[in-house]
Amino acid sequence: MIVSWNWLSQYVDLKMSHDDLVDRLTMSGLNHEGTEAFGADQAIDLEVTSNRCDCLGHIGVAREVAALYESELKIPDPQPATGSESIDKHCTVEIESPETCFRYTARLIKGVKIGPSPDWMQQRLTALGIAIVNNVVDATNYVMFECGQPLHAFDFAKIKDGKIIVRSATADEKFSAIDHREYTLAPGMCVIADAAEPIALGGVMGGADSEVSDSTTDVLIEAAYFEQLAVRNAARRLKLHSPSSFRFERNVDSANLDWASRRVCELILETAGGELLDGLIDVGQAPKTPEPVTLRYSQLSRLLGIDIPDSFVAPTLEKLGLVVQKSAETSITAIPPSWRKDLTRECDLVEEVGRIYGFDKIPDNVNVPMAASYRPKTDRVIDKIRGVMTAAGFDEAVTPSLVPQPWSDAFTPWSDSPPMISSQPMSGVLEEYSKNIGAVNLLRRSLVPSLVEVKRINEYRSNTDVSLFEIAKVYLTVGEDKIPDQPTKLALVSDRDFYFVKGVIESLVQMLNPAAELSIVACDNDLLDASQAGELTVGGEHSETTSRLGWIGQVSKSGRKRFGLRSDAIVAEVDLAVLEAQSVLIPQHSSHSTFPPVSRDLNFIVDDAVRWGELESTVRSACGELLESVHYRETFRNEKSDGPGKKRLLLSVVLRSATATMTGEEADEVCQSIISDCKSKHSAALVG
Amino acid sequence: MTIQEFVSQLDQLSEKATKAFADATDADSLDQARIAFLGSKKGELKAIQKSMGAVPKESKKEAGLKFNEVKGAIQQAFEAAQARLLGGSGSRVADPKFDATLPGTAFRVGRLHPITQTINELKDIMGRLGFTPAEGPEIEDDYHNFEALNIPRVHPARDPLDNFYLSVAGKTNDGALSDNPLLMRSQTSTVQIRVMEDTKPPIRIVSLGRVYRPDETDATHYPMFHQIEGLMVDENVTLADLKTVLNLFATNYLGNEVPVRIRPSFFPFTEPSVEADYFWDGRWVEFGGAGIVDPNVLRSVGYDPETYSGFAFGLGIERLCMIRHQIKDIRDLFTNDVRFLRQF
Repeated sequence: MIVSWNWLSQYVDLKMSHDDLVDRLTMSGLNHEGTEAFGADQAIDLEVTSNRCDCLGHIGVAREVAALYESELKIPDPQPATGSESIDKHCTVEIESPETCFRYTARLIKGVKIGPSPDWMQQRLTALGIAIVNNVVDATNYVMFECGQPLHAFDFAKIKDGKIIVRSATADEKFSAIDHREYTLAPGMCVIADAAEPIALGGVMGGADSEVSDSTTDVLIEAAYFEQLAVRNAARRLKLHSPSSFRFERNVDSANLDWASRRVCELILETAGGELLDGLIDVGQAPKTPEPVTLRYSQLSRLLGIDIPDSFVAPTLEKLGLVVQKSAETSITAIPPSWRKDLTRECDLVEEVGRIYGFDKIPDNVNVPMAASYRPKTDRVIDKIRGVMTAAGFDEAVTPSLVPQPWSDAFTPWSDSPPMISSQPMSGVLEEYSKNIGAVNLLRRSLVPSLVEVKRINEYRSNTDVSLFEIAKVYLTVGEDKIPDQPTKLALVSDRDFYFVKGVIESLVQMLNPAAELSIVACDNDLLDASQAGELTVGGEHSETTSRLGWIGQVSKSGRKRFGLRSDAIVAEVDLAVLEAQSVLIPQHSSHSTFPPVSRDLNFIVDDAVRWGELESTVRSACGELLESVHYRETFRNEKSDGPGKKRLLLSVVLRSATATMTGEEADEVCQSIISDCKSKHSAALVG
Repeated sequence: MTIQEFVSQLDQLSEKATKAFADATDADSLDQARIAFLGSKKGELKAIQKSMGAVPKESKKEAGLKFNEVKGAIQQAFEAAQARLLGGSGSRVADPKFDATLPGTAFRVGRLHPITQTINELKDIMGRLGFTPAEGPEIEDDYHNFEALNIPRVHPARDPLDNFYLSVAGKTNDGALSDNPLLMRSQTSTVQIRVMEDTKPPIRIVSLGRVYRPDETDATHYPMFHQIEGLMVDENVTLADLKTVLNLFATNYLGNEVPVRIRPSFFPFTEPSVEADYFWDGRWVEFGGAGIVDPNVLRSVGYDPETYSGFAFGLGIERLCMIRHQIKDIRDLFTNDVRFLRQF
């Protein structure tokens, strides 16, 4: 709301400096956003919160000033002279849709002479940035910015049969607005119609046909109270926002219609001449009488934390327009004014008294009792995970939770249920390359597609050595109208190889729980290359059963094509709840052997089909308690010496006894059982 | 040889060797001295060690200790001389093939997203003030996102165009028609409700996370962003407590005494409602919204507003993060160009 200093001074003495005024207004709820000099005047921009529709006019702001500076508020009392002819003979008003229009009043002025409005009015409106039209339209705007009540002037000659019908629009009803564009209306929008067709969109905009023009002689003045939602919906759907709709959306003072109507008639008579017909057409509901509100003085200190003298309360409330009904020793009861529909409860009055007294007087160094806080396990686990990921050279990404259809369908390992779809797409979140991929309106069921896109963006920008991770929720539908499952996942993407990413996940699991055992089995997924992909499970000492941890794999050729990826990428996604369940936050010490280890290398020739994991577990069980660790060294193929379909697996075992120094013979004995077990289980032949 | 003679020989040797090493003026003279005293074949120390066999048996132990002591001292004197003349132990001559100025082996440490870094910092600060992190679902129902927060149906915040209402893809049912439709939460205040529904006061929580509003994307708007929200409910919690906590919070976050002011504002879930500003770089900068929890909110979770009161405050993480790191365009935060991410 832009306020003109000169205009404001009409209602309240402005003896203070500009800076002092805007500072006090800011500190009492009308935030000062800036001031521009306008000739001898100043245009002060104040932010008005949506509960304070009363401050969308100069009088409302003046009332605040009067309360803050304890000065007098001077409000005009318009008493326009009327002729003897009655309006009733010329005009009727009927409200057919009381749900969109609570109250409608009309006055009629005959014989106006349209021309420019007077300089003082033009100056004030121009200072506010309002376009100048003519003396009648300017007067309606002037009164709107004076008291906050939007008004409309119709060219009465254009109103067929002098009949005003307030009704809901019919489906696809057409309406030509003052901006000379045609709008298609929908039921629920409030239409002002004459005997034939819509002549205005209630509270939003007047019609082109009935607008006041140079040839207008008779004007009908509308001062009405349209319902908030009807106006907001119409304005938003038609993208027709106006100072009028802005005010109705925030609720106007329904008790002030007659004052505003008289005020604008007075100004029109003054500036455009004519004769005001006798009488006011006033249909619809009478404004509700506000209920009294009681404020216990004790509540001021209970909620604000400062002592405000009881004697400060009554005068303050009265300055703000409340009428004190009863003043007792410990409380006060007052009736709020019609323009303050936001004051209905005790806490509302606490705020009123507090803000006028000054929130700056509230101390900022009181003794807040101490309280212990703790870090939830999830937070601690996530911190550890982030530590490992960054140590492994992964940068953290944050990507939107909604994705377009092709991404949504690309990778759905966690659930077969359809995704949830949003009524609105996210706009402007896709890069140029992906712009035509479709609306971004599906809740993602995996983070992987988003990370593949991030990989593509980095590839496109020639960034190398790209390894990224994200920790975020995915959304798995469990049924209509049911809040979906929202498990947190950790996803990875990297331009390094499969074993690097697998190694990172292994290290991560190891770090969270040294006893956990990670295994991998083949999996089938469109996005992943069948030969370089697997489902990860984790189990170990601390869990009875193994749990599915997630997936890892190289993006398949078709997957790369789908995402426009040129080079290879490894992706993985694991479940955070499983990691958390595995985590040992307080590791326990166990003593280790003081005797030296013995190491042995073994080189087996096996079929290509033999998996390292199988061989390793055979080696482990063959070693028994003497095993400290098994290390994979390398795979080597030599068709000439070993024959086709064979490979050599080189491994080392480290053996150590807890009770004595192992001898070479003991170690050789263990090796013999490894060799014989591997031979019987995997047809493994020892080289050399 | 008596033990006394043995000890005396050792003492003399020690003195002589120490002097010789101290007198050495270059690598050659040092090397000569090293061979003379410490040489493994003909060195004087070696010679004395051999004579130890002649010491009477009962004095062997004493002789051994003395020998080791002297050997240590001579060795030390040599190393000191070596350090003095050659600038280091070990190698006599710098190896021209070794270039210490070559870069170290690459070891890339990944970076946490600046949003995460900001969140962690805020969580830390709030933790020190006794606020425990709380989580809630990002997909919420109308009741928790609006109704319980005293946001009436006519409130502009509930306009379907301003929210991501949800339904199951492929179903004809329009989510917005349901009595309690689902939506992507538009604020983290929903977590307040969830926590208070399950917990009795006193409460001191901080909730952080993603929130969603269908804004047009530009340099300062993105349809997804992050909020932090603090809530404290107990008997006798006042606006002065809020101001104190905000003051500590701002001072902690910005690193020195920072004036904080509160001015009246409007939010449906607080009454009185305030906007908090902090004074930075010569002007007041908006910090976030706050206020005393509205009695309707307390009632909706079964608290008696006559017994309990509380304050809540909420801040936008992106704005704090962007001011802190001089980030000019919010979209950079979500493009995830590694050249951007690696700056933090």
